[in-house]
Amino acid sequence: MRVLLIEDFEPLARSLAQGLREAGYAVDTSADGEEGLALAEGNPYDAILLDVMLPKLDGFAVLRRLRARGATTAVLVLSARDQLPDRVAGLDLGADDYLVKPFAFEELLARLRAVIRRRYLAPSNLVCVADLEIDLAARAVRRAGRPIALSALEYALLEYLAMRRDQVVTRGEIREHVYDFAAEPASNVVDVYVGYLRKKVDEGHDSRLIHTHRGLGYSLGTPP
Amino acid sequence: MRSLGFRLTAAVVLVLAGVLAAFAVVTHLVLERALVRQLDLRLAGSAAAIAGMAEDEAGGAEFEAESLPEFERAARPGYFQAWLDDGRVLARSPSLGACDLPRLGGAGSAPVHADLRLPDGRPGRAIQLRQALRIEDAPPGAPPSKRFVTVVAAVGTEDARETLAAVSRWLWLLGATAFATAAGATLVVVRRGLRPARAVAAQLDALDAAGIGNPIPTAGLPTEIAPIVSKLNELLARLAASFARERRFTADVSHELRTPLSALRTTLEVAAAQDRPATAYRAALADATALAVQMQALVGNLLLLARLDARQIPVAAEAVDLRRLVEDCWRPFAAEAGERRLRLTIQLPADCAVVSDPEKLRIVVTNLLANATAYTAPGGSITVRGGSAETLLEVADSGPPIPEDLLPRIFDRFSRGDAARSGGVHCGIGLALVRGVCALLGLDASAANTPDGGVRFRLTRPA
Repeated sequence: MRVLLIEDFEPLARSLAQGLREAGYAVDTSADGEEGLALAEGNPYDAILLDVMLPKLDGFAVLRRLRARGATTAVLVLSARDQLPDRVAGLDLGADDYLVKPFAFEELLARLRAVIRRRYLAPSNLVCVADLEIDLAARAVRRAGRPIALSALEYALLEYLAMRRDQVVTRGEIREHVYDFAAEPASNVVDVYVGYLRKKVDEGHDSRLIHTHRGLGYSLGTPP
Repeated sequence: MRSLGFRLTAAVVLVLAGVLAAFAVVTHLVLERALVRQLDLRLAGSAAAIAGMAEDEAGGAEFEAESLPEFERAARPGYFQAWLDDGRVLARSPSLGACDLPRLGGAGSAPVHADLRLPDGRPGRAIQLRQALRIEDAPPGAPPSKRFVTVVAAVGTEDARETLAAVSRWLWLLGATAFATAAGATLVVVRRGLRPARAVAAQLDALDAAGIGNPIPTAGLPTEIAPIVSKLNELLARLAASFARERRFTADVSHELRTPLSALRTTLEVAAAQDRPATAYRAALADATALAVQMQALVGNLLLLARLDARQIPVAAEAVDLRRLVEDCWRPFAAEAGERRLRLTIQLPADCAVVSDPEKLRIVVTNLLANATAYTAPGGSITVRGGSAETLLEVADSGPPIPEDLLPRIFDRFSRGDAARSGGVHCGIGLALVRGVCALLGLDASAANTPDGGVRFRLTRPA
């Protein structure tokens, strides 16, 4: 899952980005409202973490413009403003959640999981595809009851495919949701990682869950 | 507390009681005098009639008694006695028996009235009359008799006193009734008259912090109360403005503290979330320390500002080497200025000494240099001048200029060149501190955009 963090206070932005990357997210950061808005409009983020007091364009203005142009990206407002009118204004402008600074990082992760779950219409943190189980909170994967050890990138790929289960997902989409700008993936990296994933998930099982759609992309699901 | 209503009522009731008592006393006196005069007139009539019964009869005097029921009855009778000038008693009323009435003194013929005690012990009123004896069958125009009779007639005053007592009773009764009615009415009227005052008090009572900005309506208030209420409204408006300022300041302080606190917490939580090499922990701890130092500086500035507000700071006056002070203050900013390719020029005489408080001046210079370092565009220059008679110090930079709409508010708390600069020395109270400390040092702090597109902060001594 790829998120955009718009926060101007550098020490906070740095540690948040680190924590989010360690939690398996692809993270882009921006320190002002104008750049943040441009990034948000140019990339299909799964969620945006948005500060309110920002240089050039404040967070509420970013949110307003984003929603005015029809963007449905999940937006989680992070603000030092704890007064009721601010919280109400943030939510009414189209924020999916509002978190008052200082917050517990665990809570931020849980809320982020929640807004992304809602975006992909997943009812809970446990996503099941046939006998494959993916625990979004623990980032643990089991097939037929046996745990599967995945690298961070493999997990991110599987998570995205699972969120869009039974849909054909293009390589471009995978690239956009699994990598951030810092990653600069090679052109065939998606195919390589799908190969790794297929080996770990499907090998030794009768039914295959990861399917290749020639010329289109990949899908995760029970065979059609 | 004695209420206005109680005082007004008490005053009116006291005045009323005095007036009613005076009225009763005067009425009593007037009535008494009228009754006495009436009695005297009756006595004069009786005495004249009695005197008329004494006749001059060929050198002798004769009393031809006629029926006088008042002097003959058994119960509460009147008394009279008549004397000739030689002292011989001519006649006595039957009620007198063998007793004598006292002569009332005076030998003239003018009637004399006096109070006295009657022979039977009752209090009475008497008249003494002296007139010439009547001459029987005297032709009109004949000279009057040369001989005189003196009559003293006395009657009891009980009738008059009973009348007076009855009237007094009525006066008391009426007075008391009038007093009670008027006092009650006054109480009601005063209470009703003070109702607007109580209504205003109730409205004030119901005011809370949220409603303090809403004025109390003055329409329909009596002219005595309306000016008080409108003054009160002015006071409330000032209070509300002050509360709003305080709330804004608190919100700003809260924001300024929450942001670094949030970074501190996230840094520590993320660092502790998984096992790392020692260098990673050290880096996280260094970040945390920097944040703590930043918050400490902010808290220190806030406390200083609060003490400035409370005027609790003593001011020293000693010789300060201005050049060395500026160089000392610049040291913490040298690294950041180097990163941003800012050039500092100090144009101060080598032995530039001023008399001031070095610690306070250090706060001022530090904040001005921090501001210049933070806001001057990369590659620009910062120039410090001063030491002249009127300008103590001037910090000029190469810009960009301060937006014109912000310039008048630049020294206010939390008014920032950029709405979202957070943390550190330039946390929106730096320039407020500059102004506060300058006021303490007797200096004027001013900011202006220069024609060449730069910004100039100047500390001047007022003329």
